[in-house]
Amino acid sequence: MSSSLLRQSLASAAHRSKTGHRVGRLGQQLRCLNTAETSGEPLQTQEDWAAFQTQRAAQKTLVDHMSQYGSTQTRENAWQPHHSLHRPLHPQEASLSALLASGAHMGHSQKLMNPNFMPYAYGVRAGITIIDLDHTLPLLRRAAKVVRSVAARGGSVVFVGTRPDLRTAVRKAAQRMGSQGYHVGERWLPGTLTNKLQMFGSDVVRTEQVIPDLVVFLNPIPNLHAIRECAIDNVPTIGVIDSNADPRIVMYPIPANDESTRTGQLIAGVLSLAGREGVAIREQELVLAREQEEKRQKARNARETQRAAEQSDP
Amino acid sequence: MPRRFAGQVHKQASRFLRSNLLKEEPAWYQAVLENPPLPLPPRAPANRSRYDVPRHIASSSADPTISSSISRRPLPVSYLEDTLRRQFFKDHPFEAFRPVSLVEAGRIQDEHPIRGKQWKRLRQRGINPSAEDTIRYAATLHEHHKYPLTQAYSAAVAQFRSLRAERDIATNTARLEAEVIGIPFGPTLVEQTFALEEKQLDTWEKKDELDASALAARKRWKAIIEKEYDTGTWSRGKQYVRLWKEGVRPDYMPVLKEPVITSAGLETNDAQKAADDLAREKMHRQQVASSVDFMNIKQNA
Repeated sequence: MSSSLLRQSLASAAHRSKTGHRVGRLGQQLRCLNTAETSGEPLQTQEDWAAFQTQRAAQKTLVDHMSQYGSTQTRENAWQPHHSLHRPLHPQEASLSALLASGAHMGHSQKLMNPNFMPYAYGVRAGITIIDLDHTLPLLRRAAKVVRSVAARGGSVVFVGTRPDLRTAVRKAAQRMGSQGYHVGERWLPGTLTNKLQMFGSDVVRTEQVIPDLVVFLNPIPNLHAIRECAIDNVPTIGVIDSNADPRIVMYPIPANDESTRTGQLIAGVLSLAGREGVAIREQELVLAREQEEKRQKARNARETQRAAEQSDP
Repeated sequence: MPRRFAGQVHKQASRFLRSNLLKEEPAWYQAVLENPPLPLPPRAPANRSRYDVPRHIASSSADPTISSSISRRPLPVSYLEDTLRRQFFKDHPFEAFRPVSLVEAGRIQDEHPIRGKQWKRLRQRGINPSAEDTIRYAATLHEHHKYPLTQAYSAAVAQFRSLRAERDIATNTARLEAEVIGIPFGPTLVEQTFALEEKQLDTWEKKDELDASALAARKRWKAIIEKEYDTGTWSRGKQYVRLWKEGVRPDYMPVLKEPVITSAGLETNDAQKAADDLAREKMHRQQVASSVDFMNIKQNA
């Protein structure tokens, strides 16, 4: 980069009154070369052309030099605290970095570590168990696959998060899955599954499906009764297991911090996005099945009319 | 009730299907068979590299055939930087008072592009190094530039102190220049705190109310009825009936028929005037009270 060209371009920039704030197709700030006010007169002589070339070169040098400084952050690409709830990550976007940023690696006190949690404990620091996120990530992706498959087969998923800060997360997760998603944000009433006749009435139990096909627990330790009910009624469970819990209480444990709101929102978001994909797959399959049924019906009708026509004209 | 295990729900379901206790496959059955639950990994602490295992544990050559040498607990996570941090904050205790941003983001921050062998001077990472930058620099010197740890620490801290000193001098000079030019600075934190304290002390001041009408409006007025009790004779209800027949309505509080402005409500605080007013009021009240006597306060003829 030549400093004389830079000085020239800076001088011309100082004289210019307007700088073109161009906005690109995707809303990002563009840095354009032709932001200067063009005189509008067509170039006539060779000197005009030379001057135009030097001006363009000076502008390019200025833009190239200054582009390495300054911020490219806009409101759209800056992360805000509500994004963990309202803009969940896709299972493929969930990375170690995202899990660390949400505090998923921080377990409980080392004295309270469940001995069965040892394989998922990376180490001990500052008196707490550090959870090994190298295990967490594949287990989270596996749980997402399960949710997607269950939803694709028309199964119902219940998200359980019985703390005030998890309430909105489970509600949004259930909303994402439409008619196949349910949530328990307040309290799992004991006997929901084991005492269903009393809870729902015999008519409902006979006509509708009361037992869910999958239950996701964001805080399993206060909901051990619910987990037991699911095991009794043969319902597969997914749970966020912290270092003071036994990973075997649920079918698909996700070793992570159950006390962090961000972590709960991240996991609920990942699983509910996978569930939404499953619901979409199911809708597509239903549409396909309907179309095929209609085609078959049309073919049958055509054959019948043909047969009727043959019979009438022998 | 037989024991139910969460990890064997699909096996139990398959048994039920085989024995026809379940008529049809539940919606989750194929999904769980395609993604079977993983068994719990063997109960052993994670494999750790030398990077974050304390040196006395990493270097110990323990014979795994001896059960007492097997670690059954997760190992501590400790870095070389921890010793450097301990020493740094012993030498610079006030660095701990510097504010640190705890703003959360969606990802953790990437490390600075200048690191490892490329990082030769602390100045390469900016003119305002934090304690953390200095400690990372000392660790880099030790790991990548083969400095012994003590010398790495000394070099890093010396550069840190020079950069801090430069910044302090520049800031102070700029402040003095600004003061000389006459740029108005707002009150300092100390001055702001003093102002708050003064404001709080002012609430202890007793201010005399100047607005008498406001005082009078706030005052809880109560009736002062001076009763002169005389043991009258019992008229067997005859007086009551007489007054009723005559159409004289009972007035049990004759004092409050008319508002009486006393000297207490007025602005002037003349003591003599107040006494005269009081005497006048008392007489007036007595006159009103003696006009009709329902409650047999005074004997009536």
